[in-house]
Amino acid sequence: MGRILIVDDTMFMRTLLKNILFSGGHDIVGEAADGAEAVARYQELKPDLVTMDVVMPKVNGIEALKAIKAADPAAKVIMCTAVGQEQMVKLAVKSGARGYIVKPFQAPKVLEEVKNVLSA
Amino acid sequence: MGAMKSVPVKVEHEGKWIPTTMGIAEDRFRIDAPLNQVIFYKSVVDLDEKKNQVIITAGGEGEAVYRIASVEKVLRIVKRFIITQASAYRLNAFFMSPAIRGGVLVQNTQWEKGVIAVMKTGIWFVSQEKQVCILLDEVTGIELTSREIQEKNLDVVKIDHLAENEVVTSFVLCPLTTLQVLYNFLKEATDETEVREEIDPLTGQVAMLVYSGMDSSTIENMLKLAHKDLDAVYESLLDSGLAEVLYIRKEIQLTPKGVRYISESVKSSID
Repeated sequence: MGRILIVDDTMFMRTLLKNILFSGGHDIVGEAADGAEAVARYQELKPDLVTMDVVMPKVNGIEALKAIKAADPAAKVIMCTAVGQEQMVKLAVKSGARGYIVKPFQAPKVLEEVKNVLSA
Repeated sequence: MGAMKSVPVKVEHEGKWIPTTMGIAEDRFRIDAPLNQVIFYKSVVDLDEKKNQVIITAGGEGEAVYRIASVEKVLRIVKRFIITQASAYRLNAFFMSPAIRGGVLVQNTQWEKGVIAVMKTGIWFVSQEKQVCILLDEVTGIELTSREIQEKNLDVVKIDHLAENEVVTSFVLCPLTTLQVLYNFLKEATDETEVREEIDPLTGQVAMLVYSGMDSSTIENMLKLAHKDLDAVYESLLDSGLAEVLYIRKEIQLTPKGVRYISESVKSSID
């Protein structure tokens, strides 16, 4: 089970992910609503894993991912993209993302992906 | 006509599974007694599968349905002949299935070159490696879109469908004119599940949470909804055909007898 930071600009998606991850026994150590906040919260909380939305105001998910990886190359980040943003996935992989989930998602598959990334 | 190779199978006959043999040639198959039938693959109009069995519907004067059970190797050969020769809309294409499962990109999935056959109740993809069937009544979305393939943005048909209670996305890639024919055909074949109703934001959020696997009490907590308000949203989802009742759960309160039982059980545990 891991300590997880959830990053998404909509409260609805953050709450949904929080419920899914909590039901899988994970500890939600923090939330962030944009990329800049995500980078700051990562430094502060040092979570085992981050779920990172791609499209966010101010600093987007890819930029936040790059900043987190620059500060901690071992950081484990799973990107959350909407359907149709698959091109972003390649960019995210190049930038060091360990996994990706596509919205809308189903709880068991999210938990499976989180487990895979945490155990890698 | 090539030589027929005989293999042991079971066929359904008058409600019972009967052991028999089946001859397989390149253009037809034969089912021995008690059916004694020869069926040309080109006369097949529909193909479905269940675990270890295929259901073949052959056309002609009155449709006949054959249920055949056998080992996977035999069924794969029969299915391949049928898909490549049956009376169906067929095209050569590349496909990727499954590409996304439950919102998670499937690792190591790749484009496969093969044949797609659109039959009465399902779409079949067949390649050297795979045989995939998507039932038309389990298709949840069709979209003509583009996808980056080998550094190029190419037109593809995206098919969302259910497979063993999971939402799966598959892609088909072929020349645009063929894609449009496939897209139009699938749109028409799945017209019944098209959403025409106006869905208000709250109902949409509830639907999204149900999709993600949340139960009623979690949804109430997440959206700060009273039980009767969530029930009203459920009713609207049911009325519009977007949802179906899975089960009805009761909310209860204890009777005086129940309260007495609890009081006594607490007392005895303290003792």
